Amino acid sequence: MSNNSTFSSPAFAKRLARRHAAERRFKLIGLGAIVLSLAFLALLLFIMMHSGLGGLNWNFLSGSDSTDPHVAGIWSAAKGSILTMLVTLLLSFPMGVLAAIYLEEFAPRSRWIELVEVSINNLAAVPSIIFGLLGLAVFINTLNLPRSSPLVGGLTLALMTMPVIVISGRNAIKAVPPSIRDAALAVGASKVQAVFHHVLPLALPGILTGTIIGMARALGETAPLLMIGMRAFIVTPPGGITDPSSVLPMQIFLWSDEIDKAFVQNTSAAIIVLLVFLLVMNGLAIYLRNKFEVRW
Amino acid sequence: MTETKLTARNVDVYYGAKKAIDNVSIDIDNGIVTAFIGPSGCGKSTFLRSLNRMNDTIAGARVTGEILLDGEDIYASSMDPVALRARVGMVFQKPNPFPKSIYENVAYGPRIHGLANSRAEMDAVIESSLTKAGLWDEVKDRLSDAGTALSGGQQQRLCIARAIAVSPEVILMDEPCSALDPIATAKIEELIDELKENYAIVIVTHSMQQAARVSQRTAFFHLGNLVEYGETSEIFTNPREEKTKDYITGRYG
Repeated sequence: MSNNSTFSSPAFAKRLARRHAAERRFKLIGLGAIVLSLAFLALLLFIMMHSGLGGLNWNFLSGSDSTDPHVAGIWSAAKGSILTMLVTLLLSFPMGVLAAIYLEEFAPRSRWIELVEVSINNLAAVPSIIFGLLGLAVFINTLNLPRSSPLVGGLTLALMTMPVIVISGRNAIKAVPPSIRDAALAVGASKVQAVFHHVLPLALPGILTGTIIGMARALGETAPLLMIGMRAFIVTPPGGITDPSSVLPMQIFLWSDEIDKAFVQNTSAAIIVLLVFLLVMNGLAIYLRNKFEVRW
Repeated sequence: MTETKLTARNVDVYYGAKKAIDNVSIDIDNGIVTAFIGPSGCGKSTFLRSLNRMNDTIAGARVTGEILLDGEDIYASSMDPVALRARVGMVFQKPNPFPKSIYENVAYGPRIHGLANSRAEMDAVIESSLTKAGLWDEVKDRLSDAGTALSGGQQQRLCIARAIAVSPEVILMDEPCSALDPIATAKIEELIDELKENYAIVIVTHSMQQAARVSQRTAFFHLGNLVEYGETSEIFTNPREEKTKDYITGRYG
């Protein structure tokens, strides 16, 4: 039987039509999935904009929390978020990256290291409220650090963010071709030189992407901060990382709980501020990634 | 006229429990090209990588026996593998320039070893290394271009320049032409022929024609054993061992 007759038979034409139909169906379902999820996001954004934009003015952006919804502003919570994120970033980024480098490049293959790896992977999946309890027990009750402060909030969120950075960092380091390490070692670079001169710069875009994902998650986190008392009513912006403070998602949570209807606008406006905050962070991540990305 | 540069005595190489190289003894001379040939998986690359301790980076790899560089045991605790690799350079199968400029690719080795004390000295090292690697005329006007933007053959010559730049005594080449077209291969072979004046060169190759063209001595490996080692002309025209004969006449491999 020649190929020609096989591919021109009616049975083959029918099969072919079925295959094309299956392909069209899949494309349609995929498109539907995207449209559905984007539609919900658009709806959410529309509702937020509709009820919140009216409340976005300079007084709101520069003010602090108040019992009067028309006086209440977001700045104290925003500043609290900025300080908390700074503490989180300064702790979790270097620790996470160094841990990732050690585990990926230097750690000897042993039971102990495998145990550490499994623990870190599990740590990334631990519910955030558990980290809050840990923060309360260790940082506040044992180390006597100031309650409700960005310092303790940042420490707690750093514990939560570090495993995410370790995991993404290890994947980024793993993705650097071994031939680059060979090349550096073969001209007489030490292991540390090969890693810091060649592997790390190439892995940096991936590490940064993971870091921003972890930081974005930390920025939106409310539960662990409830445990360490960052839900206090704060009327003055924190002066430093040891002053009592609130954070953006906490402020949203507190306002959404108010009985006064006027706080609905404040809640929506605060959500817009939080979203803009996230957009800026993501934009920064994309900028940094493109800046450090090496074309091969 | 020639002197022994590298000596291996009863060398075994293991990957975990698996023995990849079995009791190999060989003398490698200065000023000539030594080729390692043999079918895939015969251990020739493994043995090559044990000559500059690149196998140290592979988990579970273990070398027993003695490998001497100018009479000095390279696996002795007094031998620093970092210093050893500055003396025994390596060029790999796939060109692997750093994703940096041509200049930086060559400058990296001299810089970490402190071989150039000024910009002018470094420039001189770069020029002489690229010239020796036969690449200078092609790249002298674009040293700041990415090394990875060069053609495959140029990339491999850049890697050779990078190895030469730290003034090694031995250059190990692991199938340096297997990813290159015939014209680029011819250029590299010409280059190897010129370089042998100043270095001991060891080349692993799959191509028997290449071994015949560039080397003065040839070692035939099979299943982790060194089957035969001698003058290249002898190996190819009058092999002593039946296995060597079968391999070079294309009966297997």
